[in-house]
Amino acid sequence: MSTEIWMGYLLHHEPDYTVVQSPFTHRGVRVFGADSDATTLAVAGLLHRLKHDEIPFVSVPDGVDALSLSSATGIPIFEVNDGDESPWEVLMSDEAMVVISKRHASVEIPMMDVEIEVDAEFHEAIEAAWVQELSETHVSQGAYVSRSQYEEAASSRLQLHGQSSGHHVVWPPRFSHVVGGENADGMHLQRRGKVMTWTTLSAAGAPSEFSLRAPVLGGLSTVLLQLEDGPNGVFLMVDDEDAVLAMDAQMELVFRRLYAQEGFVRYGLKARAIHD
Amino acid sequence: MKCFVLVPGNMVDVAVVGAGQTKYGNHPLGLKGMWAEAAAKAFSSVDGDFDPAAVEEAFIGSLAFGGSQLGNTAALLTEHSGMDGVAVRRVENACASSGFAFRDAWMAIKSGQADVVVAGGIEKMNDLTPERKRYWLGVSGDTEWERLAGLTFPGTYALMARRYFHEFDATHDDLVHVSVKNHLHGSMNADAHIRKEVSFEKAAGGFMVADPLTLYDCCPTSDGASCVVLAADHLAHKFTDTPVWVKGAGAASDNLALHDRPSITQLKATQVASTKAYGMAGLDARQIDVAEVHDCFTIAEVLATEDLGFAQRGEGGRFAREGEGRLNEGATTVNSSGGLKSKGHPLGATGTGQVVEVFKQLRGQVEKDRQVRDAETALTHNVGGSGATCSVHVFGRER
Ligand SMILES: CC(C)(COP(=O)(O)OP(=O)(O)OC[C@H]1O[C@@H](n2cnc3c(N)ncnc32)[C@H](O)[C@@H]1OP(=O)(O)O)[C@@H](O)C(=O)NCCC(=O)NCCS
Repeated sequence: MSTEIWMGYLLHHEPDYTVVQSPFTHRGVRVFGADSDATTLAVAGLLHRLKHDEIPFVSVPDGVDALSLSSATGIPIFEVNDGDESPWEVLMSDEAMVVISKRHASVEIPMMDVEIEVDAEFHEAIEAAWVQELSETHVSQGAYVSRSQYEEAASSRLQLHGQSSGHHVVWPPRFSHVVGGENADGMHLQRRGKVMTWTTLSAAGAPSEFSLRAPVLGGLSTVLLQLEDGPNGVFLMVDDEDAVLAMDAQMELVFRRLYAQEGFVRYGLKARAIHD
Repeated sequence: MKCFVLVPGNMVDVAVVGAGQTKYGNHPLGLKGMWAEAAAKAFSSVDGDFDPAAVEEAFIGSLAFGGSQLGNTAALLTEHSGMDGVAVRRVENACASSGFAFRDAWMAIKSGQADVVVAGGIEKMNDLTPERKRYWLGVSGDTEWERLAGLTFPGTYALMARRYFHEFDATHDDLVHVSVKNHLHGSMNADAHIRKEVSFEKAAGGFMVADPLTLYDCCPTSDGASCVVLAADHLAHKFTDTPVWVKGAGAASDNLALHDRPSITQLKATQVASTKAYGMAGLDARQIDVAEVHDCFTIAEVLATEDLGFAQRGEGGRFAREGEGRLNEGATTVNSSGGLKSKGHPLGATGTGQVVEVFKQLRGQVEKDRQVRDAETALTHNVGGSGATCSVHVFGRER
């Protein structure tokens, strides 16, 4: 029905299904961008779908990180004892594409004519860096955000879960705070904000968890955003888009890979310029 | 019912009676050797008889960079400096570790629990691979949010610098003036890590580390140790005729992560700590002759000159541009040692290293070329990370 750019991906919406593809190609084949994978495409697709449908459960294939997907979208993962069949499912293909579909919908993959040919050397280097970073035997010097620490903060990191009390919004949430704290109301902040300041770090200045990829990316750009709901946050820019940064520029936050350690990926929200 | 009244006037006064440090930079020795050297220099700087065995309490600041002796660091060190058996502990508040070690030592005497106390600090930074070093340089920021947004301290301070340029009449050139000044001061300091003057053009053209901060905006990674001896008033003159009195002390903390603070162009912890220290000393910023401020990045010195009251808010850039902090030029000489920028920044050693500098300045004992004329009063300002912790002390020749 309609194809659009959504959170940096190509998205085709039909009443019963959504197709999400990476805009990048390498030697004629669609490939993921520098910080994308099937989980990031699926999250983008589900967030788009949520504008139109209620999704009580979703089932996901192996290869999609269920916990991160569920934390980022708020949609519970279908368990066998939740009923006979999940009403919605995520399907993966060999290429950089996922489909979010109502169960038993008949899906037709559309031709999407946006194709950005990636630099072959860059693509191979970044793929190789991720393979090495994801290897269980790779002993990274990265900051240790353990699995339980990641899971504990997942809803605030991936869905901007915060606290509100009167006119005050607190994010990330606090256990005990003059404004927030455990007794404050929970809320989800809008994924938009404006640039208060920014920097681009040389590979030599970047933290060690990025030491395999920062040299390939030519450094890392970080923005400090004032979110529309009030609180500030720091975010990496999406890795494969060149952005001209400026004070007060409007940014949206999209779900991407941050880094991997001990065989599992930590996802997070990254900033990309709003082009409208 | 019994009534207890605390009479502040009855509290002991505290003096620094000895101070010494290693040269900062790439030190050939490891932790034990560096600490032994700094302690020996501090003990031999005491004019009267001094026996390290007389030290009752010791506080040693260190991040324990590299993690080689993360636990019980302090006990290992005192064993190598003739203070066996002393009640000792490591104090950790990132780059402000020994500023707080000094504060704890001061409080130990002030409370009447001890009469002779040692405060010091140490860091060995240059025996690590570059990747391991970058890991350890990032452990004192907010690891969960800032660090996963790609930030180590050059990045965090770069965010502050760009915002500062946006809010006030300042440009990167103002930071270059800070760098040129501190390299000039450091070039005259035998203990400094980087002992070379730099021209404005060279400092302006360094390679970009974290835009807009270049190499010449950043402190280097240094090895070093520093040590000072504090004594209660009734013993001070037994050790020296020229004690340096601790006239005021203040400390504070702030949100760990930069993005949680309402303003990123001022350090609230510095403002609170210095207000307390000035109040206790009965002095204000205009009466300080020498200030060792925490310039881990040049923008940090610009912010510090404002937060400590040497310049009005928004005027820190002009203060630097017009050379007000240069040796013997304005009311206050800022970073006569070369500061963290040029003297170096061995994280845990920096706070008490600043005390070593003001101790010598107030006693007329630094190299002739960089002696602040008629120095009567001094201040040290030590910051942890991007401003999560801060400790400020005010010193004077007069009690
Ligand atoms: C700025 C920084 C990235 C430079 O590191 P680097 O590129 O690895 O530099 P090297 O150690 O290889 O030194 C290269 C040269 O630059 C010089 N140099 C290093 N750091 C310097 C500095 N900060 N200022 C001026 N010169 C410096 C060295 O002396 C060396 O000179 P040489 O070639 O003549 O011997 C590093 O010093 C750094 O990370 N500093 C910040 C430390 C920090 O964050 N501390 C905590 C603060 S809160």
